[in-house]
This record gives sequence, C-alpha cells and structure tokens, in this order.
Amino acid sequence: MSVIYILLSISITVAIVFFVIFILAVRSGQYDDGYTPSVRMLFEDELVKKSTKQSINTKPD
Amino acid sequence: MEMQQFYYDNKIVKKFIYATILWGVVGMLVGLLLAFMFLFPNLTDGISWLSFGRLRPLHTNAVIFAFVGNAIFAGVYYSSQRLLKARMFSDFLSNFNFWGWQLIIVGAALTLPLGFTTSKEYAELEWPFDIAIALVWVAFGWNLIGTILKRRQRHLYVALWFYIATFVTVAVLHIFNSLELPVAALKSYSVYAGVQDALVQWWYGHNAVAFFLTTPFLGLMYYFVPKAANRPVYSYRLSIVHFWSLIFIYIWAGPHHLLYSALPEWAQHLGVAFSVMLIAPSWGGMINGLLTLRGAWDKVRTDPVLKFMVVAITGYGMATFEGPMLSLKNVNAIAHFTDWVIAHVHVGALAWNGFLAFGMIYYLIPKLFKTRLFSVGLANLHFWIGTLGIVLYALPMYVAGFTQASMWKQFNPDGTLVYGNFLETVSEIIPMYWMRAIGGTLYITGMLVLVYNIVMTISRADSKVEDELAEAPALSRVTGKRTASEGWHTWLERKPVLLTIYATIAILIGGIVQIIPTLVVESNIPTISSVKPYTPLELEGRDIYIREGCVGCHSQMIRPFRSEVERYDLTNDKQYSKAGEYVYDHPFLWGSKRTGPDLHRLGGKYSDNWHFNHMYDPQSTSSGSIMPSYRWLIRNELDKSMTEKKMEAMVTLGVPYTDEEIANAQSSMLAQGTQIEKNLYSDPDFATSYEADKAASGADFVEMKNREIVALIAYLQRLGTDIKKSDLDNQTAQN
Amino acid sequence: MEGNSCFHCGDPCGKAPIVFQDKHFCCNGCKTVYEIFSENDLTCYYDLQDAPGAVPKEIEGKYDFLNQASIVEKLTEFQDESLEIVTLYIPHIHCSSCIWILENLNKLAAAISNSQVNFGNKTVRISYTPQEISLKEVVLLLCKIGYEPYISLEDYNAGPRHVNRSLIYKLGVAGFAFGNIMFLSFPEYFEVQEYWLEQYKHFFRWLMFFLSLPVVFYSSSSYFTSAFKGLRSGMLNIDVPIALGISVLFLRSTTDIIFDLGSGFFDSLSGLVFFLLVGKYFQQKTYNFLSFERDYKSYFPIAITKIEANNEETSIPVYQIQQGDRLLIRNEELIPVDGVLIKGKASIDYSFVTGESHPVEKSSGDKLFAGGKQQGSVIEMEALKSVEQSYLTQLWSNDVFSSNKENAFTNITNSISRHFTIVILSIAFIATAYWVFTDSSKAMNVFTAVLIIACPCAIALSAPFTFGNMLRIFGKLKFYIKNASVIEQLAGINTIIFDKTGTLTSHHSETAYTGKHFSADESLVLKSSLRGSNHPLSRALYALLEEHDIVSLDHFEEHIGQGISSSYKDLELKVGSASFVGRPQKYSGTATAVHVSTNNEYKGYFTFFNKYRKGIAKLFKNLKDDNELVILSGDNDSEQANLEKLLPANTKMIFNQKPEDKLEFVKFHQSEGAKVLMVGDGLNDAGALAQSNVGIAISENVNVFSPACDAILDAAKLNRLDSYIKASKESIRIIKWSFVFSFFYNVIGLYFAVTGQLAPVIAAILMPLSSISIVVFTTVCTNLLGRKLK
Repeated sequence: MSVIYILLSISITVAIVFFVIFILAVRSGQYDDGYTPSVRMLFEDELVKKSTKQSINTKPD
Repeated sequence: MEMQQFYYDNKIVKKFIYATILWGVVGMLVGLLLAFMFLFPNLTDGISWLSFGRLRPLHTNAVIFAFVGNAIFAGVYYSSQRLLKARMFSDFLSNFNFWGWQLIIVGAALTLPLGFTTSKEYAELEWPFDIAIALVWVAFGWNLIGTILKRRQRHLYVALWFYIATFVTVAVLHIFNSLELPVAALKSYSVYAGVQDALVQWWYGHNAVAFFLTTPFLGLMYYFVPKAANRPVYSYRLSIVHFWSLIFIYIWAGPHHLLYSALPEWAQHLGVAFSVMLIAPSWGGMINGLLTLRGAWDKVRTDPVLKFMVVAITGYGMATFEGPMLSLKNVNAIAHFTDWVIAHVHVGALAWNGFLAFGMIYYLIPKLFKTRLFSVGLANLHFWIGTLGIVLYALPMYVAGFTQASMWKQFNPDGTLVYGNFLETVSEIIPMYWMRAIGGTLYITGMLVLVYNIVMTISRADSKVEDELAEAPALSRVTGKRTASEGWHTWLERKPVLLTIYATIAILIGGIVQIIPTLVVESNIPTISSVKPYTPLELEGRDIYIREGCVGCHSQMIRPFRSEVERYDLTNDKQYSKAGEYVYDHPFLWGSKRTGPDLHRLGGKYSDNWHFNHMYDPQSTSSGSIMPSYRWLIRNELDKSMTEKKMEAMVTLGVPYTDEEIANAQSSMLAQGTQIEKNLYSDPDFATSYEADKAASGADFVEMKNREIVALIAYLQRLGTDIKKSDLDNQTAQN
Repeated sequence: MEGNSCFHCGDPCGKAPIVFQDKHFCCNGCKTVYEIFSENDLTCYYDLQDAPGAVPKEIEGKYDFLNQASIVEKLTEFQDESLEIVTLYIPHIHCSSCIWILENLNKLAAAISNSQVNFGNKTVRISYTPQEISLKEVVLLLCKIGYEPYISLEDYNAGPRHVNRSLIYKLGVAGFAFGNIMFLSFPEYFEVQEYWLEQYKHFFRWLMFFLSLPVVFYSSSSYFTSAFKGLRSGMLNIDVPIALGISVLFLRSTTDIIFDLGSGFFDSLSGLVFFLLVGKYFQQKTYNFLSFERDYKSYFPIAITKIEANNEETSIPVYQIQQGDRLLIRNEELIPVDGVLIKGKASIDYSFVTGESHPVEKSSGDKLFAGGKQQGSVIEMEALKSVEQSYLTQLWSNDVFSSNKENAFTNITNSISRHFTIVILSIAFIATAYWVFTDSSKAMNVFTAVLIIACPCAIALSAPFTFGNMLRIFGKLKFYIKNASVIEQLAGINTIIFDKTGTLTSHHSETAYTGKHFSADESLVLKSSLRGSNHPLSRALYALLEEHDIVSLDHFEEHIGQGISSSYKDLELKVGSASFVGRPQKYSGTATAVHVSTNNEYKGYFTFFNKYRKGIAKLFKNLKDDNELVILSGDNDSEQANLEKLLPANTKMIFNQKPEDKLEFVKFHQSEGAKVLMVGDGLNDAGALAQSNVGIAISENVNVFSPACDAILDAAKLNRLDSYIKASKESIRIIKWSFVFSFFYNVIGLYFAVTGQLAPVIAAILMPLSSISIVVFTTVCTNLLGRKLK
C-alpha cells in the first residue's frame, strides 16, 4: 500500500497550502470586514451607461 | 490612478451558456436512453457503440464535465470579471479554454462509444484526453489567477475563494488519478494495481464530486443567489468560516467509497470519520444560502430564478446529509452496489447542479441580451416539471435500493439464500425502473422547455450580446517607503494567488517524485502465492471486458458478508475477496453498482458454451435477464497485434511476465483459444451452426479460436480460480 | 415623494418645503446634496434606501487646520508624492446607500482613486493623489454630501491602526492541526491489530507529532506566559494547570511514540488547545463602532485658530497652545483650554462635560473652562493654561486612568483554580506514591495520566462561553459591555451612584410657562421673533412652542446678552432676561427662565427644566433593597425637591460635585468595602467611572461619544438596569453549576488515570465530550436567561 504515502502527502500538502493561503489572507486584512463585501457585490456602479455619460458632458455650467 | 475603462467579456459567457444547454440536452438524452435500456435491454440491438456498457460513461461524463463543467465556466467567467472589476486576463486563454473543452467533449463523445476507456469512473477518457484536460484546466486557472492579479477591487469576494480552491484541487486530483502507462494511441494501463488503484480512484472519485460539483457551485451560489434576490448573503462571516473548514477536511474523505472492500480497515474508518465531519461545513453553506432568501419569499414566489435556486440549495442540503449517512459502515453495508447510490447522486446532480445551472441561465440570458425572459410562465412550468421529475426519479430508486438490498441478504432457516437466483432481485424492481424512466422523461422535458424559452428570448431580443463597458480606478499599487502594516498590504495584495500557482507546481513535482519510487517498491500487500498473472488470451479478454464497460453493471468485489460469500463464492471455501487477488489488476475492476451479479469468482461456474450463448442472447440462458446481447463479440476477430506490447507494459508495472512468456504470447493464445473452441463443440447446436457458417463464407473466414468471444470466455473462466484454501491458510498465517 | 418628509434626509419639511425637481427637501443643504448627486448621475443613492442622507453642517473654516502639512501627516496612514491614504471615521454611515456613495467618491472627484468602506467600523479608507486634491478638500467634499468625518485629537497620532490578529492565527493553527491529527489517530483507535496498520502507524504517529509542534509552541504560548506570570506573582491562576497539562501531554505523547509505547495523546492535546482558544475568541465580543477607552482627546479638536500679534489667523495644533495665546473659537467649536473671554458673546454648552444641555451665558472677562462648546457667534479668548493643565483635562493625570481594573481582581475561574490545582497535584503525588510501592513501572504513567486528565479544559471554558454569550445577549438589549470580567464585577456590586444631569434626566428639556395667557397675535409674534434670533435659548424655546405660521415682523432687534425686541402691526414684544423685559419684582428661581412682555406689560416667563427619564422611580425602587443608592451631581440643588418626591427615601443626594470630588467619593466608599457601580454620562464623571468597580455610561445615541467606561447603556434602557444586574448574578450561578459538571467529568477521568488505565482513546473521548457538553450547557442556560430578559 505504498500509495498511502502518496495520497497522504498530497492531501496534507494541499491542506497545508490552503492553510498558508488562509493565514496570508487573514494577515492581508481580507477578513477584517465581515459585512461590507456582501453588500458591495450587489452594486453594478462600474457599468458605464452611454446615455448618462452624454448628459454629464452636456450638463450646463 | 485615474479611472480606467474596460469591457466585460460577455461573449465568452454566452458561448459557455450555449455549450451548457447543448451538452445538457445531449447528456440527459443519453441518460434517458440508458434508463429505458433497463426496461428494453436490446433497445439498440447489436449496435456495439450504442450498448449500455459503453454509453454509461458517456452519460456520466457528458453530464458532469460537459453540462456542469460548462455551467461552471459560464458562471465563473461572468462573476469573476464583475467581482474583480476587470476583463478576463487573456481573451486567448478564454477561448482556448472554451474550444479546448468542447473539443475534449466531442472527443469523449466519439471515443467512449467506440470502447476506448480506462474504466475508472469519472476518469474513463484515455490518456491523450487526460493530457488535453490538464492543459485546458491549467489555461483556465491561469486565466482566473491572471484576472485576480490585475483586479481593481481589493477584497476577494468569497465566491472567488471557492473558484481558486476548485482550480488547485481538481488539477492535483486529475493528474494523480490519471497516471497511466500508454500502450497505444488510445490504450493505457493504470500505473496502480488492484487495491491501490481502487484507493487512488476513489480518493479522486470523491474529491471530483467535492471540488467539481460542490465547491465551484457553492461559489456560484454565493454570487448568483444574492444577485438574483438583490440582498446581501445572510452571513458573510459564516460563508468564510464554512469555506475554510470545508477546504481543510474535504480533501481527506474518499476511502468511504470502498467500505467492506479489500481496502485496509483503518483507511475505511478514516474515510467514514471525515465524511461525517463534513456535514457541518456543508450545511453551513446550505443554511447560509437559504437564509439569504429569508424575507424575500415574496420574490421567490414570483421569480423562477429564485425558485430554481431554492430547490437547488435544498437538494444540496439533502445530498450532503445523505452522503455522510451512506458512508456509515452499517448503512453502507446495505446501500452499496444498490440503486440507493444512484438516487443519491441524482439528487445531487439533478437538483443541486442542474437546478442551480438553470437558475443561472434564466438569470444571465436576459441580462446578456438586455431583454426580458420570453415567458416567465414557461420558466415556472419548467420548474414544476423538473421538480416533479426529481421526485419521481429519486423516490423509486430509494425503494429499489432497499428492496434489492434486503432481498440479497435474506436467508432461509436452513441457511440457504431466499432469493438464490440474482434475477429474482432484478425482476422485483423493474417497476421502479419504469418510474425512474418517467421521472427522467419529465426532467428532460423541462430542459427542452428551457431550450424553447431561451431560443425565443434570444430571437426576440433586439440587441446582440456585446461586451459591457465598465470603469473603475486601478488599485493603488503603493510603492516606496510606507509604514509596516501598509507594507504588508501591497505585498500580500498579490501573494496569495501567486502562492497558489507555486504551491500547485510544487505539489505536482513533489507528487511525481513520490510516484517513481513507489512504482518499483514492491508493495507490502499480503501476496497469495497461487495468484498468477493472466495468460495473454485472458489479458486480451480482460481488455474486452474493460472496453464493453461490463464494470458498469458487474462488481468484482465480494464483501465479507455471509450473504455475499454464499451468493458469489463458488469455490466451496466461502471466501470473500482478498486484496492479494488483485495484485495484477491494472486497472482494478471492482465496480460500484450491481445491476447484475458479482463476477469475482465466476470462473468455472458455467461451461464455455453457457457463456457463449449468454453473450449471444442473455435471455436464452437466463430468462428475465436485463443484460443486452453482445453478438459482435462473437463475430469480431480478436486483435492480437498489441498483445506483446501490453505484456511488456504490464512488466514495467511490476507484473512478473518472463521474456519467453512474452515471446510465446501468440502461440499460447492460439493454444488456449483452440481449447475453448474444442469445448464449444460439445454443444451440438453450436457445432452445426458454426460449421454451416464456415462452409458458407469464403477464405476470409475467422475461426472461432481467433474471435473476441473466446478471449472474453477465457478471462471470465479465470476469474477467482487462483485462490485455493491452502494458500489462504498460508496467507492468514502471515498476519 | 411622500408629502412632507425630506427626500434626502427624511426629516419633516415643515410648512414650506423646498421643492426641486418635484422632490421635497427640508433645507437647502439637502437640496444641494441632491443636486450634486443628480448632476453626477449618482441618484441611485436614493434607490438603495429611502432618504438615506444627512443634512450637511455649516463647516466654515472648521477644517482649515488640514492645511497644515504636519497635521495631515499625522492623520494619513500613508504618504508619498503620488499617493495619500487616510482612514476617516464617519458616524453617519448606516446603510447600503452610504457604502455605495462613499465607494463612488471618485465619480465626484477624479483625484480620489479608491475609497473602501468598512461598515462595521463606520470608516472609509480613501486613497487620493495629493497634487490634485488635498486632504482638506476631500474632507470638505465629504461634508458637502452630508458625510462629515469626525476628526479629533485622538486621531492626532493614530497613523495606520494595525489589528492584532494573533488569536485568529493561533486558532487557525490549532484547528488545522486538531482536524488532521484527530483523523490520523482514528485508525489506531479502531484497528490496533490490523495488518497494514502495523506498517504505517509509525509514519502516522510522527506526522501527528510534527503537526502538534506548532500547537504547543505557537498556539498555546499565551497560556505558558500567563501561567508563568501568575506563578511569579505567587498566584495559581487557571493557566497554571492548563500549561502543566499541555506540557505533560506533549512530553508523555512524544516519549510514547519514541519508545513505541502507544500512539500518544496528540489529538487530545491539539483538541484541548483548540477548544480553549475558541472559548477565548468567543469571549471577546467587540463592538467596533463603540469605544470604551475614550478620554477628552476624543472630544477635543486637533487644531485651533490662533490670532497672532499682527491679527493674522493661523491654526495650530492644540498641544502647542501656550498660556497667553489668543484663540478664535467659532460656532460649534470646542474650547480646548481654560481661558478668559476677551471678545464676543459666549454661550457655552457644557453638555459634554456635565450633561447639562443648556448653554451658559458668558460675557467678556468671564472665565471659560475647557470642554465647553461655543454656540452662536465667533468669540476670542486668551488661554490661561495649556491643554493638559486645564481644569477638566488634568483629571486624567489621576492614576486611576492608568491602572487596569481587569488585572486588579481575581475572577471566578482563577479563584477556583487555586484550590483545584492544589487538589490535583496532591492526587497526582499520592497516586504516584501508591504505585511506586505496588507497581513502580506504572508510577510515571499514572502521574502523567492524572495531570493530563485533570487539565481543566471544561472549567476554563465555562466562564468564557457563559460571559461571551451574555455579552451578546446584553448587546442585543442595547447594553454594551467592555469585557467579560465586567459582568462578573456587576454581579458583585452593592452601591450604585448616579450622576443626575444627562443621566437621570434626558437631554430634551421641557418648558413650563407661568403667567398671563397669550392672545393669538401675541403667540404669533412671539414665535416669529424667536425664529429670528439664533440665541440658543430662543432656539430651544422656538422648538418647544407648537407649530405656528410665520409673519415678517415690522421691527426686529436683538440686544446681545439681554433679549429681543420686535414689533408687528401695533403689537410690541420683548423676550429675554427679567430686567430686559422689565419684570416688576425680581426673579428668584434657580432654573433658567425666559421672560416675555408685550406693549411693556409683563406677561410671564418660560422656565426650562430637564425631564427625568421614564421608569426612574421604579428602577430606584427595585434597586434600593440590596443596594445603597446615591445621586452625585455637579449642578446646584435646584432639583433636590423634585428628586426627593421621585426617589426612595434613603437615597443620598449630593450636589455641586467637581469631577475630582466624584472620583474621591467613589474611592472613599470603596475603601469602606463598597463595591461601587457608577452610572454617568459626562466627561466630569470620567474619573468616577474609572475609579468605580463598574462604570456605566448612559448614552442617548451610542454612536456619539461617551466617556471611558466599562459599559455603555442606551439611555432608553436605563430603566432595565436592575434586571441586567440580576441577569449578571444569574450568569455567575450558571458558571458555578458548570463547574460542578466539569468536576464530575474529572472524577471519571481521574478514576482511569489513578488506576493506571488511561488509554489515549479514553482521553480523546472524555476531553471533547466534557468541553462540548459544558459549551452546550452554558449556551442553553444563558439563552434561557436572555429570553427572560426580553
């Protein structure tokens, strides 16, 4: 059953890799804010609506 | 750092959606055909490439990798761009991913019916495709990670984590499970043998489910459910916790697919433990998904998209609860090899994957075409037909599972089996198969309704799908001196993703390095002296067994239950299957479903003639059998050109063929073939018809001893005959 | 748009709303914001949420100090030529619209490259290009759209705040190792004699060993250190037996696998640490939008306008104010130092300090105390002291502010662990001694086994989970508690001291009129005249009088420091001080009053008085039985009579208390063995709040500021205080019960240990079982308790 060694080492390696990523993610502050992202993903403000662009350009001032 | 304008690539999303729909229809149609073959075994009479054994892998592959796969890509490509506020990293990679994937699917659709298969479940495709899959998959990951690197949104939304996890793990799993030794353009042998092969296969098999059918779809759920309901996910924290706990342990559960098999006991326990642990994180996802819709039930009532998603999430909850239950040893003792498992996977596939994909399609198509859905009514119709279909599919399969299991295990007071004849247990559940076929029909009808609805929507739409213009400021890549904590920020901005790449590469290299020695290391499975390699003819016969996908309906694994040894072991010492018996099986052929009886100790049970007639017309030998006939085996000439190469390959994999055995391969095959031909003559009917046939045809007449059927018979008659009581005593003495 | 509420901020628009694009607005400010948004195509701000906005405040010159590079540098967390990053606290952040608009700042100012909201902290992190836009402009932009950031002296040396996440890392490490170790150890529990396992168990065991290393040396480090500290200060805190247990577990397991005696206890070890850390994590419920640590710095401005000799106005950091500096204080600005009023008409609102909402009139030559807020016109003052030496601020030099209450008292867990540890050690030694004589080979085994099984995981978990859950329950009930130990303290108090103004009384005053009745015309003119004046009292009165049409007066004149004289048609009206309106006899009341006369005929006067919060009387009645009650007020005794009517007889009342007096009063009572709960609201209570065993700050809006304290209680919930105290007592009882439970588990474990038959699997079952059942027990009990509270 030498394959056990392979499977275990792969499993653990993968697990450890993810664990490292986890630590790094926490450090980078990815999880400091546990709420705002869930709201942010609902916005579609980055889409540029052609019509309104003109209205801004042609806005009197 | 001024505003940057860029276009979201919608065309690629559209392509993937079309592919999803197309392959969805194909995969389901094949499934339906198979469902009806349970009722009319010879529906595709005599057409080898439409036989059950060959179509089953086509069905699973088409549904999992073509339908679900394309759905994943569609969803990932759509959501990642928007979550990262960036166009995909490279249009070339996007299209490479799309066309590459479709080519592989077409290739599968051609080769599988032609019998080119490794016979490893969910990994049936032969080695050239395995390489192609690896390439395309890496292209996908490269594209995804590239996009993450050039993103314009600092925070990585939880869905993206699920995508990353999907990419990394599937890559690793695929590569390690597909390690095989090619002998021809479309023929290879798994480098692992018997028990080891089984373990690797189900470690893959389980995690394929985990990381191809679950994690990416959870990611999609976390994007599309909030979007469709237009309300934030119930608890973002929970989503993060549940992602990481899932990732930390999912990779482990696998051996539970081999309970009571010849797999080491402790490995089985390991599998069970993990699987049970999995309920928690899985349900975390389900609860989070459902609670996101709390307070939006009025929307759910009207919006088909949300309806589909609700059922999908519920299905996920059921499947992830059932899974661990099935992995409990005592439950598994009953459920394994029965239709219960079929019900389980279809709840997952039809409800979780299917319905979430449908919901996504109904949400995306109008958005992409800047129009409204042609008919919400039809969408609702689809929803109801589909749901009914799922119910009609799953319930009868559960019943069938219980019935079969209980019948297999019932004993008379005198210690004999109540239903000694396996066929009794089959004919009992035919009604269930009928209902299943009806349920399937309903489900696919729903699918066709979707197709119509989508086609109409698109044709009504006045605008074509065009890439959307978006603008967002670039992330401020802060350089130069900055305070400690800030330094971390930017440094880590990119690191996690880069790390995934490095890590993946590292694992692969590490893994390969691990493999090489283990191939030479003779592994410490308790060997049984009398277990010998297959003869050349048997080897060829085995390859036919693999080609025809017999493993789809017949197991080769007698589990240590009285009921099973009573039923299947005919060498009156009533032995269950021992790991030592499989040491030369590249690949293993334990199977996962018993539509027909187990064959591990078939050798010697019947005469060569019986097998001959059975293959020609199963119902003639066993009335009421639902096995299709395999006439072409009886006509086709056996291709012996590869035999030596195959044996050499086996030698490289550690099978002790001597050089002269290889040299004399042809002669030995001829000898064994002639013997079997002689045995067949003992049946007068055969003699007469065969002679007549011989007389009729001319010079290019193929003698029986050179036909495929002979090889297959040789193999079947060999099964389980090596093991003798005496040797077992020695073996048990060892440990 | 629904009739009369402002489209932007939702406030009532009154009789004459401002209409723009057929939307109603309560004021020009709101209208302007709307204009800005609509011009920049940001109106979907209003789609996400109805009327999400806030009225932009008058901020003329308020942020001039941001012109100073030195200050900007202090505020920003990153600075270089091409990029500045600042994190601003914006109290108004409250809905998804806020997130949306603030993350779209770049649509309003291209130079802002990125802005990211943290909703929980109510902060926005803005990156911008300094050449194109200055920090001041950014802030002004925010103010313009009604999102005025709050910048205080506190931020002065803030820089980038780095969060301490070590607990999460430790938790992650422990959890990861626990999961994997547990699964690696399973096989041996199930199939000890299995054939293949023989080949692999060593591989597995060493894998477990390596996985456990980070758990022992990283995750559990805090326990070792705290145990060490405890021992050095000669005190057996709970971490001593824990640290002991961990190290024994590790050593025993390691020797076991080295000499192949068994599979070791690695799973129990990592599990133990994991559970303990979970408890620790659970216990720290943080309200990131609250701060319990505020001192005067959070109220004081960073910079102030100084008038140089050459009458030039420069803004200087308040720390640089020296005696003799001439300072310019604008409307709504806070007086940072004690000084003398030189020029202008001061009316100072000391509510931050005393909780008294009525401004105090000052005329030039009067002394001004730091902490007051100028209302109305611009004034000039001369500084007499520097910031630190000012009357109010020097309070913080008192050392109560530097001492940490939590360390001061031994919590219930540690007090029990003292006995516990001794008992365990003696058991261990006795058992070992016994075995030395009977079967010496087992002695060591028994000794370690006892220490392992006795490792007080369950005990250590009881308090964290109980209190952690209570913190959450209280939080839901608007009672925000700093940390677990406060609950424990609260359970023990026997003396309750209340501040009066702003604590027992609400900030909304009431007015009563005594005198002759007003004719319709008279009240009309009165209202109109009041509207014209921006004197705080006039405004207060104007707000309190019922809605009225407004007429434009023929004559209107405001006499600084005296009152208003106005006329409409043939009606002449005077509002103001008694002398101004010509009150025949002298006015003798202590409460602030506004007098009115028409056509030189005295009509009567309005008195303002603070309304007592509802339920006070009942609250005091419920509390008086098992607590001594005291009212400690900084004001004069004008209210004494009312209070005596309202409150139980034995309530002590002491008035005219300076901040130090309050602090000393608390100290004195404590010296007499009292466990004091101080309830206050103003900065002048800060000393007392800090000195007392538990200091609760009352706040009408938890987002605005409250002095340093142990807990913040929403004013509306003050009348529930008694039930909260009772609940804290209950929670202590729960903990005691769960102690009983864990002892019960320990006894079982000890049986195995002492008899020398503790197999790893037993430990592996017992340890999680005890921990989990304790968690369940405490959670269930506390939730039941919480239900009762609702």
